[in-house]
Amino acid sequence: MQTCQTNRSLRTHPCLAGLLLCLWTLSAPAENDAHVLTAGIEGSFVQTSTPLTSWLEGGLGKLRNDENTDGLSLYHSFMNYSGRLTPTLNVKATLIYNPEQSNGLDLSEAFLEFRPVPRTAWRARFRVGAFYPHITMENIDVAWTNPYTLSSSTINTWLAEEVRTIGLESRFGRNFGANGQHGLNVEGAIYWLNDPTGALLSAKGWSLHDRQTGITGELPLRFGTTFEPFKELDHRAGYYVGGEYRYGKRLTFRYHHYNNHGDPTQGPDWGDTWQTFFDAAGLQLSLPWDVGLISQWIDGRTIWQGFDAGFDAWSTLLTRPFGKHRVSIRYDDFYLDQALMGGGVQELDRGSAWTVAWLFHHSQKLRFALEWLEIESTRPQFVSAGFPATVAETQIIVSVRYLLSNQPN
Amino acid sequence: MVTMRRLSTASIAAIAAMVATPCVIAGELWQPARLTVEVTDRDGQPVGDVVIYATKNGADDDRQPHPATAIMDQIGTAFVPHILVIQVGSLVEFPNSDSISHHVYSFSEAKSLELPLYRGTTHPPLIFDVPGLVILGCNIHDEMLGYILVVDTPYFSQSNVNGQTELVGLAPGDYSIQVWTPRLRENSLPPELQISLIDAEERQMRVRFTEKLSPPHTSDRGGLSRPVY
Repeated sequence: MQTCQTNRSLRTHPCLAGLLLCLWTLSAPAENDAHVLTAGIEGSFVQTSTPLTSWLEGGLGKLRNDENTDGLSLYHSFMNYSGRLTPTLNVKATLIYNPEQSNGLDLSEAFLEFRPVPRTAWRARFRVGAFYPHITMENIDVAWTNPYTLSSSTINTWLAEEVRTIGLESRFGRNFGANGQHGLNVEGAIYWLNDPTGALLSAKGWSLHDRQTGITGELPLRFGTTFEPFKELDHRAGYYVGGEYRYGKRLTFRYHHYNNHGDPTQGPDWGDTWQTFFDAAGLQLSLPWDVGLISQWIDGRTIWQGFDAGFDAWSTLLTRPFGKHRVSIRYDDFYLDQALMGGGVQELDRGSAWTVAWLFHHSQKLRFALEWLEIESTRPQFVSAGFPATVAETQIIVSVRYLLSNQPN
Repeated sequence: MVTMRRLSTASIAAIAAMVATPCVIAGELWQPARLTVEVTDRDGQPVGDVVIYATKNGADDDRQPHPATAIMDQIGTAFVPHILVIQVGSLVEFPNSDSISHHVYSFSEAKSLELPLYRGTTHPPLIFDVPGLVILGCNIHDEMLGYILVVDTPYFSQSNVNGQTELVGLAPGDYSIQVWTPRLRENSLPPELQISLIDAEERQMRVRFTEKLSPPHTSDRGGLSRPVY
């Protein structure tokens, strides 16, 4: 297992604070839900079939695991805290477990949310801290997990790797039409500490897994180097704007434009400042026969010094519940290239993936899951490393998750 | 469009023998009338949860029953009932039978309210003393929507799944009949209808919406999972 070179004393402070907060709330009476603490303990058995070493070990593999790191693990476990400080002010924090790092426990999100009571048809919601932008349509379960599959789509995998809003977000929404059938939300955010966004994508291409980078975490690049994805070097704020339209509960369409406004001339290293901007859209539909459809799309560029990469990806998931069971199938398509000095592009990563998952909620606390996925990609780096130009990786995960809570049910 | 059919005098006489107890108004004996309503959309399909209410013109109805205490509950992250009709001056309880907290609010002209309904706590009932529509939301769960229609009459009802309902115990006299559903904008609702009822009359009324109704409010997400994050 690779260990990251970290400043241990600084890195563990947020973890210790998080643990202390969790222990304090567990001791609080649970007659009400002013402080909700949920711990998810998930044991998984992972089996991969791949000639590649995982990107987490500095290799070319797109999965979290490879044939050397297969087997049993607890790395999907988490602890989530939601607290109501006042009737309109909430706090939320999520601790995640990444055992391959020296600070195995880290915060994936920690933020305050202000929800003033509406005095008109418009609702205002504000978040300040570290949190995911509202881009994903799939990761809607506790601790930003996915209730449809275990592994996120390629787009959402990348968001979990190196995209986090560390700043302030404002959202305004209202319903209109008879019976409030139409819903509209518009939002904007200003943020910092996201300068290296795009560094990992450019280095390793797209991936498919469920790992979330903690806000004090580090990410590996090839040849043993690492970088911190959430840092500020150029003292320039980034922004995103977005909107959402809903029709009842059955149709949602979302769009975001994101620009971290990074200065690509800052910093000599690959993991320093990248100028990254993209457009992202998402569609969620209830189809007949109880089938759900979720589709996401992204298109953008990421630039550092003279390295100018274009990326795009899309995914479509179909899902259907059968009582306590749910079956989902997803197709991912992804692409990354680099603009060449004399014109034209060099393809760096082109591929697709299929994911099939069965989830069974035995009760509100106990969930069983089985997932199979195959990801196939074509990369010039494969050939350089002595592999065929196109490599397919497959993975099976069997997992059992148990939720502990300080709430009675 | 609203159409009405008057029963024959013979039918009225026959039914009069079986209707409720005779009543007294201003020293005169009278038998209460009944108004049966059928509601359909423009395709002829029955429409449920449509509110019908009858307001008596003039001030000669002494039989105003006392306003009751009604319940607007929160179950399964939804307001239950979705539409509650009450007489002006009634109390409404908000018990929150859910296992989670809610924060109910309304900024409607007829009643502005803010009710933190945290699990483990109770709140005394609120009085609704202004007629009009009160639209309810929850500040924790933005998808929740409910209505309280406050009317200035004791004669109100909602259509069932077959589009049928009735108003009973109506004293003879002139009435203004109004129809309300959240599935139509206010200016698309049928206009007020003036009717006169006589002793023990059995009147039938058909309401047929000519505008397209918006879909009923539902918590059903079909095949999609409910967001927890």
